[in-house]
Amino acid sequence: MSAGAHLLLVEDERNVGETLAERLRAAGFRVTLASSAARARQAWQAQAPHLSLVDVGLPDGNGFDLARELRSAVPQAAIIFLTAHANPEDRVRGLELGADDYVSKPFHFRELLLRIQNCLKRAQDLAELPREMRGVVRIGRARVDFERFSAEVAGTQHALTHKECAVLRLLASRAGKAVSRDEILDKAWSAEEFPTSRTVDNFIVRLRRLVEPDADEPRVIRSIRGVGYLLSDLKHE
Amino acid sequence: MAAHVNLKAGQGSLSVVPARRARLIALLASLWIVLVLVLGAGWVILVINQARQISALQELVGRTDSAVAAQWGSTRRRIVGESVVFLLLLLAVSALLVWLYWRESRRARGMQAFFAAVTHELRTPLTSMRLQAEAIAEGDQRAELAQRLLEDSSRLESQIDKTLELARIEGGGPLAEQSVPLRGWLERTLGIITEPHGTRLEVKVHVDDPLPPILADAAALQMILRNLVENSVRHARVERLQLQLSAQRRGSQVLLEYQDNGEGTAVPGRELGRVFGRGDNSKGTGIGLYLVRALMQRMGGEAQFHSAPGAGFRAELLFNTSGESAT
Repeated sequence: MSAGAHLLLVEDERNVGETLAERLRAAGFRVTLASSAARARQAWQAQAPHLSLVDVGLPDGNGFDLARELRSAVPQAAIIFLTAHANPEDRVRGLELGADDYVSKPFHFRELLLRIQNCLKRAQDLAELPREMRGVVRIGRARVDFERFSAEVAGTQHALTHKECAVLRLLASRAGKAVSRDEILDKAWSAEEFPTSRTVDNFIVRLRRLVEPDADEPRVIRSIRGVGYLLSDLKHE
Repeated sequence: MAAHVNLKAGQGSLSVVPARRARLIALLASLWIVLVLVLGAGWVILVINQARQISALQELVGRTDSAVAAQWGSTRRRIVGESVVFLLLLLAVSALLVWLYWRESRRARGMQAFFAAVTHELRTPLTSMRLQAEAIAEGDQRAELAQRLLEDSSRLESQIDKTLELARIEGGGPLAEQSVPLRGWLERTLGIITEPHGTRLEVKVHVDDPLPPILADAAALQMILRNLVENSVRHARVERLQLQLSAQRRGSQVLLEYQDNGEGTAVPGRELGRVFGRGDNSKGTGIGLYLVRALMQRMGGEAQFHSAPGAGFRAELLFNTSGESAT
């Protein structure tokens, strides 16, 4: 999908935005450049992007809030944050908000290109749903729709991030069998994100809050000591 | 999902550490105050017991009851008075320590935010320069790329100049004040300041005639005007930036007004130019306007900023006159 994929670049610094947009177009992407959060909203309403590159500091808002809106409006779009704030807290915050990747400025264009291609590939893998994952699947207390990247819990709709979808899908496809942490890392994270087994554990804690009736006593996503995790409560509707 | 399942942004494993540390410090401070109170109370009881024993001994050596009672009463009052003073002093020292810790933490957070903002301002033009240099290295020979490279290197240079000037001013660096005729100075300097921004910028100047020369450091004056122009270029967000400068007498002083036609901001004027303790969403470092205010104060003048959405940005600079005759 990389060639011809539609990228939405949200960057208020004119020189960075224009040069990056030109280079991405030269690499074969269709690029829409938006210099503010308001223009980004107009752009994704006009045409949904496959991937969005979002600068964290915008003149009329915060890139994190914009990403949250984009995640709800276009759940299938991958999101990469571009930021000159390189502190670990911001990185954690970005990834928790559902970013697929987080790139610190200044970056090498080729590295960014590689990350874009990896994100697009993972997004494409997610879009290709096996037959048994189509429609609504009940996982614990959540009714999950992988096609729409959404989950309904107690009557409330939640937008799922790409990583949440990827991990849930992997566990669901092996329901009743243990899946190793390494395999989860391999399927949902890229090597450039420097993930560890602890990353998976933290992520599972978040998923449990969504699917477990009681997150303190998990029964839906069970830990298998020394191996990884096992999904035990899956029903097709 | 993060927004809906009680997992707020910024509550990741890394951001938990400062919260834990704050709780630990609060616990230690509480233990310290309890310890001070217990020790103080123990000391009072100990001294009172000692005094009782002394009075009992005095009784044994044959002093009269009333004399012993009077001495005991006086000793007790002195002990209670000293104990209260001692306890109050301990509590005051404890409160002072807590206050000093709070002030230092706040200052450290401000410094951290300031350096993060400066780093951000340096990284952004560097990103642009790297992208352009990579494109040129790969054979893209457009003059536009070279122009952008020049703009970015100027921005980097200006940011470094401002940071160094901030360090100099904060360190009490001297100014060389002299008599400056504003009209001639503006004619000579405005072109130099606006030249890097090319034709995107239009400047109108009005100087009352006659106007007395102002008392100012010429280099500081240039830094003030350059910072105002760069602030407008950065934040105005209009296709064609128009700047209006007008100078007039105000009482015994000279008022230089600066106005741009930008979008303006809802940030109150007194908040503009704050370097430390700024909000997360602030763009830029704030050094530019901070320096304008600091330099004006150092020259015995005053700077006020005003802005509102749709009303652009306005600065009022009030200078002392040099005492020489009007030009």
